[in-house]
Amino acid sequence: MGMLTFAASVFALFALVGFVLFLRTVARSRAFTHRDAYSFPSASLLVGFIATISTAFLLLLPFLLPRASIPTILLGAHSPLVLIGVCALLGACASLGFVFYAPRSFPSRRFVGASVRVMLFLSSTLAVATTVAIVASLLFETLRFLEEVPLGDFLFGLHWSPQTALFSDDIGSSGAFGAIPVVLGTFLITLIAISVAVPIGLFAAVYLSEFAHKRTRSIVKPILEILSGIPTVVYGFFAALVLAPLISKLGDLIGLQVASESALAAGMVMGVMLIPFVSSLSDDALAAVPRDIRDASLALGATQSETVARAVLPAAFPGVLAGVLLAFSRAVGETMIVVMAAGLAAKMTFNPLAAPTTITVQIVTLLVGDQEFDSSKTLSAFALGMLLFCLTLVINASALFATRRYGSRYE
Amino acid sequence: MYVLSLRFLLPSLFALLLTTLTSGEAYARERIRIVGSSTVFPFATVVAERFGLTRGIASPIIESTGTGGGIKLFCRGIGKDSPDIANASSRMKASQLKLCIKNGVASVIEVPIGYDGIVLTQSLQGKAMDLTLRHLYMALAKSVPDGAGGFVGNPYQSWSDIDESLPDANIEVLGPPPTSGTRVAFTEIVMDGGARSFPQLAALRKSDKKAFRKIAYAIREDGAYIDSGENDNLIVQKIRRNPKALGIFGFSFLENNRSLLRGLKVDNVAPEFVNIADGSYPVARSLYFYLKGEHVGKIPHLLDYANSFVSEDTIGEDGFLIDEGLIPLSEAAMKRAREDVSSMRVIRVSDLK
Amino acid sequence: MNKTLDSIDKHLKRRHRADRRYRLYGQLAIVFALLFLLMFFFSIITRALPAFWYQTASLSLELSARVLGGEAGDPLPREISERQARKLLDAALALELGPSSERAILRARRALLTPLAALELKKLLLEKRYKDQEREQGVRIGDKLLLPFALSSESGNYISSLRYSQLGSKEEEASSLPEPQRRSLSILQQRGLIEKRFNFAFFVRSDSRTATSAGIWGALVGSFWALLIAFILAFPLGLFTALHLQEFAPRNRLTYVIEVAIYNLAAVPSIVFGLLGLSIFLNWWHLPRSASLVGGLVLALMTLPTIVVASRNALASVSEGIRSAGLALGASREQVVFHHVLPRAMPGILTGTIIGMAQALGETAPLLMIGMVAFVAQAPMTPLEPATALPVQIFLWADHPDPAFSSRSAAAILVMLVFLVVMNAAAVILRRSFERRG
Repeated sequence: MGMLTFAASVFALFALVGFVLFLRTVARSRAFTHRDAYSFPSASLLVGFIATISTAFLLLLPFLLPRASIPTILLGAHSPLVLIGVCALLGACASLGFVFYAPRSFPSRRFVGASVRVMLFLSSTLAVATTVAIVASLLFETLRFLEEVPLGDFLFGLHWSPQTALFSDDIGSSGAFGAIPVVLGTFLITLIAISVAVPIGLFAAVYLSEFAHKRTRSIVKPILEILSGIPTVVYGFFAALVLAPLISKLGDLIGLQVASESALAAGMVMGVMLIPFVSSLSDDALAAVPRDIRDASLALGATQSETVARAVLPAAFPGVLAGVLLAFSRAVGETMIVVMAAGLAAKMTFNPLAAPTTITVQIVTLLVGDQEFDSSKTLSAFALGMLLFCLTLVINASALFATRRYGSRYE
Repeated sequence: MYVLSLRFLLPSLFALLLTTLTSGEAYARERIRIVGSSTVFPFATVVAERFGLTRGIASPIIESTGTGGGIKLFCRGIGKDSPDIANASSRMKASQLKLCIKNGVASVIEVPIGYDGIVLTQSLQGKAMDLTLRHLYMALAKSVPDGAGGFVGNPYQSWSDIDESLPDANIEVLGPPPTSGTRVAFTEIVMDGGARSFPQLAALRKSDKKAFRKIAYAIREDGAYIDSGENDNLIVQKIRRNPKALGIFGFSFLENNRSLLRGLKVDNVAPEFVNIADGSYPVARSLYFYLKGEHVGKIPHLLDYANSFVSEDTIGEDGFLIDEGLIPLSEAAMKRAREDVSSMRVIRVSDLK
Repeated sequence: MNKTLDSIDKHLKRRHRADRRYRLYGQLAIVFALLFLLMFFFSIITRALPAFWYQTASLSLELSARVLGGEAGDPLPREISERQARKLLDAALALELGPSSERAILRARRALLTPLAALELKKLLLEKRYKDQEREQGVRIGDKLLLPFALSSESGNYISSLRYSQLGSKEEEASSLPEPQRRSLSILQQRGLIEKRFNFAFFVRSDSRTATSAGIWGALVGSFWALLIAFILAFPLGLFTALHLQEFAPRNRLTYVIEVAIYNLAAVPSIVFGLLGLSIFLNWWHLPRSASLVGGLVLALMTLPTIVVASRNALASVSEGIRSAGLALGASREQVVFHHVLPRAMPGILTGTIIGMAQALGETAPLLMIGMVAFVAQAPMTPLEPATALPVQIFLWADHPDPAFSSRSAAAILVMLVFLVVMNAAAVILRRSFERRG
């Protein structure tokens, strides 16, 4: 049945297109030639506009009105084919009405111009609406969560054990919602990732922009871009099925106690994923440093690496810092690599060979399964999401702040 | 061409999208929707796939939400937004059925489909252990008797702390979360049985069952027992990579991974097909699915699916689910299940007490 | 005097050494990244290769009257049950491996083949019967047919390990089969009945419980629907937003807020979009769970910033002269933008959109949150049906203990990477042509 409706929709679309073309022809006919040439092109556009917008509006009507109102019943009671046909017809009538009854001096051009501007403006408010929606939905659920678990317990609690029972006669966990172990796990893995990404990314960027031949640069740069194009689920696959067992085996050889899902494996792979971030942002920062600085340093007898280390890098530092901070926020919010390669135990540990859990892993674990929105278990996932959102917001804001405030000290 | 220019195509594409949206409202859902136990999931998906292939229709959609989550979704009400069947690896409780009835789901049909053992497994590279229910209680409980009439938080960190004959390795057990039917069954059999081996707890069980359950059924949260989610395949993978840990899941997962895992003996009985079937392996439970009577007739092929699940070809002695590791019901129980489905016999709260 | 020159010399040498060291670090960093890429692709490709082939055993199947009823020479019956098909298979296996009536042995032999073998044989015979009916000739009771049957994944792994026993790492797989089954397989192989075929099923079938019949078609269709919907929503909205910000918006507070909002959206972790989808699209609007429509909606929101930024850059790069000329000739602002600026900026805009779509193809986390993780054995016909997506399929198969599934996961990764390469290449070609023109 779904296929039939779909085909019907496509047919209706073509019908609508045909109808509007017909209307345009009408608009070009005698009834319209008395309008001034200034507005003429816009007038025919307006006809099509009215037809389409009114059809879309009529189709949307059932969603906007309360369920039991008469128009909804009338529109909803028939098969979609009839529904689409009726709406298209009504839309065409609206535009025909315009063609024949609008006053001669109607300023089509200005009207179309204003409508287009309104449409563009409304589209651009979607981005704002989305951000508001994200914050609102997270906040709403978090507030409901905080009704049951006090904020202090959540932010400063040292015990994370959210698996409460669903029914009164089951016995579950005690329902401790202290987020610190989870946050700690996140930071541990993030730190490992950053300690891989920053040295490699920065040195690579420095080498490519200061030392390398143009040809080397043009070959290597795209290859580094490949690293950023690989989806994170693929990195996760690699981390879980190739790297983690490898590290485990190596650990056994040396005699170390390596968990099968060490933070090391997940962190290293995440670090590699972040290399392009650090490297391309550092590259931009280095490129932005004016040539004079390099020339002056070289003229005073410094070697190239001394120039870079003592003159260029400090000048580019804010940009590099911003890059590092952005990589940091990316690592904190990363989900797939850690879900596939990291652990589930919320332990307080600084040991990179252990298997801690992260904020994103917990969100996934808590929500794949129970979808009841009234247990503190599900709500805690939203609280974690809110925490994550705030964390990344703060880190990104500081990155922006660093660039704005300290950007390019040498103008 | 005007038609192909962006400013015309775009609003038209919008209209197209909207019509697709509205078309969903007008029709009822056509595919069977099943949620529930992760233990029953591998069996149900095999049945669903075959059902779709043999009938030439779209197979039912199955989600592995865990028994608890599945029953909660099931009992949310009737209508196309709610699932038609809930798989369960532990029997529905009276309180759950009451919730169902309260939300309008009054005709629930209980269908047992077979037995399953809950096994304790480890990687083949781990050191083998023979455990008793008492050992398991001491390893996993939140509170243990302190020998002076009271209780204390579980102090045992390694297996040898519990019993010198056991290896000296840290207690690390990966198992399902509290919403899982496997966990519920495990708690009711192992924790209950293990607790009873302590005279103090046995006495409490006789005098105040509720208090007994509160203490005995609580599993430790200090990290020795790790809630590993509803995905049993994941636990298999983790156990395989970590020879020092034990895993708790259904027998079918052990059967399908014999080359990687070993099942530990409990109370000296090995987790084998024959032992579970004849009842000598202590940790066994029935598997069920629950059918929403109100949806039969509204969702196409629903009763057909239920009938095919309990048919001889599926769960009979030679059935393909037995090949997958399901342990068959007795002949009498199977017959009763088939009658219950075809007559759509509704269960009552009194049946579950 | 010499001492000072010497010390200057030494100092200079040290500085030059430091210089070389820095260059070395840079080169090492790049080499490390390249080595990683190499190891990465190598490990994925080696894991994926086994998934593209599967092993079959050619067995001589006798359509015996004893099983199917009727007499020799009769046409095939109208209904053949799976049990009958299974008995035919048992007989065919017995022909090669010796007769037996013990249930355990029969079951073990059946386990050599894929679990769906009997079902597929039944379908094949019924198809033959239907086709032959029209041609008035063909398969009759009593005929002998030579048919290939797919081996189960454990048997297939064992056979591969026999062939590649030098590679060593296959030891684990070899030991998964009990001894009698290994012997039976060796017998079949010695008689030359085992063949390797290309696994077309991987591309045309959807997810399955048996690894040998599992394919990515369902996931591909699901991803297609989701990306289509994401494109239909994000492209116009993103384009309009960019047009507004770049061509029409006044430099006031509101515009600033919009720009900040877009910047923020780009930085939000993908899982938060999933939470948004869960709480608003599923919980409030009650859209069908697991539907690619919802996936498309979430992906549209995630791709929006990418398209907006790319479109703004493309619009900004159109020379100002065009706009001035248009306005001077009397066109309204909208006419100038839509008739003159936009077409010239189109290649750049499309480039950004393609790159955005490529990113959306690889997104997994938000799709997990909105439920595209169910077991879906058929491809979705409309965007409203429950579906899964390619990256989610990779995720689900990766965790399977059966190595056949994890190699299919790697193979699916290769397929996805091919798509990404194609999309990115298209974007680069577009960009080059744009730069040449502009």
